Amino acid sequence: MAKESVIVVGSGAGGSAAAWALRQAGHPVVILEKGRHLLPGLGTPAGPRIPFGNDEVKPGRAFENQDPVLEPRTSRTQQEATQGVDRSFVGDVNDLPTTVGGGTIHWDAKTPRFWRHDFKGLSLYGPVPGANVADWPLTYDDLAPYYDEVENRLGVQGDVTKMPASTLAQAPRSHQFPLPPNPPMYAGTLLAQGAASLGYHAYPFPMAVASRRYDGRPPCNSCGFCSGFVCPINARGNAAMSFLHHALLDGAELRPRCFVTKVDMAPDGRRAVGVSYVDPSGARQHERADIIVLAPSAIETARLLLLSGIGNSSGQLGHNIMFHFFTLGIGLFAGEPHSWRGPSTTFTIDDFVGPERGPAAQAAGLPYLKGGICEVGGGLTLLAEAQIYASLPNTWGKVLKNLLRQSIFRAHLAGLSMVGEDMPQEANVVDLDPKVRDVHGLPVPRITYSVHRHELAASAFYGPKLQAICQAAPGAVASGTVPVGVLEQETGGFGSPLAGPASTAHIMGTARMGDDPARSVTDPWGRLHDVDNVYVGDGSVFVSAGGFNPTLTIMALSLRMARHLAGSAPAAAPAPSTRAAPGRLAATGGSSAVEAAGAAALATGVALGSVRRRVQGSEDGKREARS
Amino acid sequence: MVDRRTFLKAAGGLGLLALVPATRVRALLAAAPAPGQAGRFLTAHELDALRTVAGRFIPGPPEDPDPGAVEARAAEAVDLYLAAFTFDPPLIHAGGPFSNRAGATHDDFADFVPLDRLAELGWRIRLEGSQGKPEREFAGPVTGLQEIYRSGLAHLDQRAGGSFAALPGPAQDLILSDQTDSAVQDFVGVALSDVVDATYGPPEYGGNRDLVGWTVNHWPGDTQPRGFTPEQVSNPDPQPATPALSAKAAAAALKFLPALAGRPAAHAAPWAARPGYERG
Repeated sequence: MAKESVIVVGSGAGGSAAAWALRQAGHPVVILEKGRHLLPGLGTPAGPRIPFGNDEVKPGRAFENQDPVLEPRTSRTQQEATQGVDRSFVGDVNDLPTTVGGGTIHWDAKTPRFWRHDFKGLSLYGPVPGANVADWPLTYDDLAPYYDEVENRLGVQGDVTKMPASTLAQAPRSHQFPLPPNPPMYAGTLLAQGAASLGYHAYPFPMAVASRRYDGRPPCNSCGFCSGFVCPINARGNAAMSFLHHALLDGAELRPRCFVTKVDMAPDGRRAVGVSYVDPSGARQHERADIIVLAPSAIETARLLLLSGIGNSSGQLGHNIMFHFFTLGIGLFAGEPHSWRGPSTTFTIDDFVGPERGPAAQAAGLPYLKGGICEVGGGLTLLAEAQIYASLPNTWGKVLKNLLRQSIFRAHLAGLSMVGEDMPQEANVVDLDPKVRDVHGLPVPRITYSVHRHELAASAFYGPKLQAICQAAPGAVASGTVPVGVLEQETGGFGSPLAGPASTAHIMGTARMGDDPARSVTDPWGRLHDVDNVYVGDGSVFVSAGGFNPTLTIMALSLRMARHLAGSAPAAAPAPSTRAAPGRLAATGGSSAVEAAGAAALATGVALGSVRRRVQGSEDGKREARS
Repeated sequence: MVDRRTFLKAAGGLGLLALVPATRVRALLAAAPAPGQAGRFLTAHELDALRTVAGRFIPGPPEDPDPGAVEARAAEAVDLYLAAFTFDPPLIHAGGPFSNRAGATHDDFADFVPLDRLAELGWRIRLEGSQGKPEREFAGPVTGLQEIYRSGLAHLDQRAGGSFAALPGPAQDLILSDQTDSAVQDFVGVALSDVVDATYGPPEYGGNRDLVGWTVNHWPGDTQPRGFTPEQVSNPDPQPATPALSAKAAAAALKFLPALAGRPAAHAAPWAARPGYERG
């Protein structure tokens, strides 16, 4: 019997993972992607040609990025919504790359796992006033085999022997990482020393960056144009290379520049029969399939379901949108930590994930505060630095030249960026803008969002700790922090192009999963409660944001969904060809830190110094807080 | 580099579009218009005025010891950007993966990437404005960058009571920093960002001539495919490029930290003029 045909909407993290697994299981798969195809040759044995380089201008010119002229979004605050303000900003609101491969084409590739407690927040820690906290309908253990498999496909580097016991208790691992860590970045090493002096523990940040040849891709050479840039040498694992490429080789069909406008329903309203879309010439088309997988990202999934008039019997569709509140700690150094040189950051610290239930939480009238994982040791490239100075009031002329010569924010800066957990709120919602239209004539997504007081309190609580780490780093001469509250004040709030949440690329929670159809949009597998054959395979289904970069979890959830759809279990022993390469640790049990560092040294061809062997990896977010 | 005369001869003999793209871009850069000459979009007078503005934004000798936007030919790069659609493919997105500055033999950056139908529409709206064309006004009329520059430079002349470029530098600065003149500030917001891009971005876009924007700031620019060695990544550089940062200077910089936490403002917000796009 022929397998059911599948349409996948969106070729990013979730869509590509689902397409790969479903194609592998023998389903006919058509992938509709609204963005351009900028990786010619993807899905052919020769592999793609990369028209991306160490070019700081192009990302600002809507190349892989969504063009807000064609596809604007609008936003407003909760307060504005209650005052009847339709929108207070139009333009780029949490835009993700609009291209084959989606956001992961230029992601920072940081791939921490969610922790056990992220899936059971309500039962473990109780409700939060004003937030829509709920348990996920699954557990860490349900997701763990898919985490393993996705990490193997992506080629994630890391070192389980360097991870704190508390981390492994929350996110247990059955295997060592497929690849050893990159050479540790100097800036991260300095901050890691500062952290250690305060009792915190930095370790190599798990990331989908090849530290040696993997899946046909070369090792990273630390060029420094990482987060927000497409890798010119293809050293990063991502949706396009690690999933879509293989799905296409296996016979899946990709249709770029096809914008899906509607899920077409059967008269009974219980089943979808296909989708309507606009093709590259602008003509309206229909495609039929037995199963529809939606993965155009949390904002666009909500928009598409609203445009289709389906999936909202719970009234929750579009609600509970979450970003992350990034909180910065900044260290300024007498010398030059060259924090831009490397894959954004190579270290992480997860001592601030929380929950913190002490006086700071009580003072805010909250049961707890949660922060998140930190990117440790990142910095700025030249043009980004120059544009930041030029964005300050009346800053040009000799002032600008002097600032660049002194280069405080590039040559002398290294920072930490905390991926703070954002509470779900029903009043934070994606709906259809009543007036603004996109190039296809469709209502654009409107994002109504305000931070919860949890985020303000948590940011104010953890920010000084980030700053203390910077201050304690060897050679630091000044330090600071930028809590969310200050940011809101300084930038004019959400909606300003400079505002924090509007500038993140972590978008979650508009079609949350759950057992109860009255309180959730999809079932525990991602299937719409209201429609029998429409599945959601992106960050929309998140019930909580966690304090972790979300993409690994998006991919794991989507893979789990696809395997469920295909009626097959996870692969028992995923084993990409390079996994057993010489020098790799076969198991975690008897391996010492020294052996692990030795493996890393073998892989990178360098003898690591004792200092760096002790602290390992340094990682930090780019200022855009994009990953 | 091909000199201007050779370029013109080649362009005349072969037809501009017949040239190999990378060669053509190199030739274009070599043939940048001199003072008093018209640009590809801007008139001679407008280009001279923009050159002057760029020099106030990022001054060079004799005012400043290091090369600035005039030496980088930033105004000429902005003119090329405004005229992007007089080339095919338009000079908007440089190619990849490598320039020829860090170990590769061919300059892929100079092979500009063609736009598709929708991308072209977006860029024509952004550069040329909506011009009353229905297919460009799905969300209302848009003022394009060409018009923003043309009217902005005209406004500077008006403020100067004649030619902005003919005023002394300090008088030019007074006009450019006049916070009470929103027309000036709107123009400064767009032009400063573009001039910064042109001065410190890759030279294939027409600015950063002879890499002056990078060398003066000890910036390596694009380093692929060479990258950095593990030693360069993990250890301090033997010779720091900048003077040691004092605690006092560092402390003074802290008040600007919030600027690090978001993205720089959009270079231009062409949608901002659309009805329904106003704040509130």
